[in-house]
Amino acid sequence: MRNVLVLSALVAAAAAQATPFLDPGKPPAAAQQAAQAESRTRPASVGATLDSDAMAHLRASFDAADTAHRGSLSREEAQAGGFGWIANHFDAIDTRHTGRVSFDDVKRYLGSPSAGAATK
Amino acid sequence: MRHNRRTTPRRRRVRPARLRTLRKESMSTIQSVLRDTRHVAALALLAAVAACGGSGGADSGGPPTSQYLDSNTYSGAATASLASPNETTATSHASLTLNGTAIAYTATVGHLSALDSTQSPEASIFYVAYTADGAAAATRPVTFFFNGGPGSATAYLHLGSFAPKRLVTGIPATTQTVPFPYVDNSDSLIDTSDLVFVDAVGTGLSEAIAPHTNQTYWGVDVDAAVLRDFVQRWLAVNGRTASPLFLYGESYGTARVPVLTRLLETAGQRVNGVVELSSILDYNSNCSVEGGKPTINCAGFLPSYAAVGEYYHLATGATSDLDADLASVRSYADSTYEPDAATWLASGTLPAAGHVAALVAFTGLPTAIWDEQFDMDYDTFRHNLIAGTTLGVYDGRMSATVGSALDADDDPSNTFVDPGFVAEIKALLPALGYTNPSTYILTNNATIADWTFTHGGRALPDVVPDLSAAFSLDPSLKVLFLGGDHDLITPFHQTELDVARLGTGAPVALYFHPGGHMTYLDDGSRPLMKAELAAFYASATGAP
Repeated sequence: MRNVLVLSALVAAAAAQATPFLDPGKPPAAAQQAAQAESRTRPASVGATLDSDAMAHLRASFDAADTAHRGSLSREEAQAGGFGWIANHFDAIDTRHTGRVSFDDVKRYLGSPSAGAATK
Repeated sequence: MRHNRRTTPRRRRVRPARLRTLRKESMSTIQSVLRDTRHVAALALLAAVAACGGSGGADSGGPPTSQYLDSNTYSGAATASLASPNETTATSHASLTLNGTAIAYTATVGHLSALDSTQSPEASIFYVAYTADGAAAATRPVTFFFNGGPGSATAYLHLGSFAPKRLVTGIPATTQTVPFPYVDNSDSLIDTSDLVFVDAVGTGLSEAIAPHTNQTYWGVDVDAAVLRDFVQRWLAVNGRTASPLFLYGESYGTARVPVLTRLLETAGQRVNGVVELSSILDYNSNCSVEGGKPTINCAGFLPSYAAVGEYYHLATGATSDLDADLASVRSYADSTYEPDAATWLASGTLPAAGHVAALVAFTGLPTAIWDEQFDMDYDTFRHNLIAGTTLGVYDGRMSATVGSALDADDDPSNTFVDPGFVAEIKALLPALGYTNPSTYILTNNATIADWTFTHGGRALPDVVPDLSAAFSLDPSLKVLFLGGDHDLITPFHQTELDVARLGTGAPVALYFHPGGHMTYLDDGSRPLMKAELAAFYASATGAP
């Protein structure tokens, strides 16, 4: 009897008219399946892992600005490459006063636990 | 200049007890506010309704001072591409009296192009801005609003929430007829901030500019990037780069806005505050966005099921104190239901009968339904709580008999509300002086099918790392999470669990109120949200 209830409800839902718009909507099946496979090896990040995920976003922006692939940015390159935050904080990040900052310099300035020790 | 790092640790996981405490505080605060404001708000509403004869219609409040007949045709098709954007705007002037103070404001309607780093046009973004006349740009906040979808235009937030005027829906009752009255909004944020309602590409009247197509901007990262470029251009064109900046997202907009916030902060544009209403921070933790039967643990939904069961007087374990009841259910969800559901998902094994009995008492949903689908998805819940009745996705308090007109879209909460928004946006834009032959696209079904969901190396977006990155770049940034107790698609406890990942020192506050996904539609909850928003803006701008 109860199972019938569940089934009839599912039928009713399926019989509803055109797929109603939902917000947030259900992503396409392929993306769902990829996410399900991924979730087995990559649980929601917390702590140092969350920081690592956060730094990966900033790293991508850093690399996008580093068009010369030098692994470091000048203040001007940071500004021109869309990483205005680095340009705005440049002197504080560039503790060695070399005129260029690496992504590790940025992480150290941010206090990221994944930052390496300062090199002089 | 020394970077001002936070002094409190924020990498530890928030204990659920802290969130309970937060909620308790917020509820006692809001209840006292409710006592104080209910009658005032009711009187103001009556006055507003009387002033405009209680009728529907556009009623912009004043004649447009500059009309604009935009001859462009806008399309939401994936391949659509605008040949030549128009940036002329229509403006009109009106006044809203809040707490005895008249606030004169200007409404500006039109398009502004988002430009890439080489100043080439990307997309023609449609917006409606309400700006207070004579305010000091350096201190007056400006807030950009974004609905979600992907594929929703921002007319929901524009017409329903905190603009100088709002639609009267009367929900959860379903007696108001279309056109809904459009009245002065006694809960407007115009006393606190300028308000800019922005339509994403392919929604409203926003469209990509050739050689780009709408599809170019249909993805988590490309959408946020083009909206970053729009926000920066709007601030520059309007002389507002120094103004305190706020972003407000709803639903998918709560995934969109954290990415946008990170991108703006990265670009060097400070964001003072972010408001997240009805949040989906992690598509990998929310079982409502899965197709078919859930593989994700639905424990974050249990307190929302309990709130809905209590609303229909079906939760036998409920007291008269919703907040206290939800605190108990939240605790049970974390300690017992979550591991029980994990076991059921892994092996199909049901827990001891006593555990199912507890769920029945919390929610009123019959034993057999739990036995059949122990990891309870919202569709099974809302179709089986009351036999022959469909409960709303967005607001579980709204219901329809199966097969009735209100059940036509399988969501009575949306079916009831949507036509009022469709009608009003069509009437309002010409009344504000903007005329265009195209149809304003309130919801675009094409975008969800074509959207690129990958983000941060995941197939589906998790934007908690975006928030974490933004907090790292800007320790002054604050985030306010709001939502409805009876929202069945972005449940409040799932938001609490996702936010807890940010750790105990994270500069966040969370408040939840009776209501659905568009929590501001509830006449009791909207004034409470307004009070919380005002306090949040004061704290995020350093105002006393």
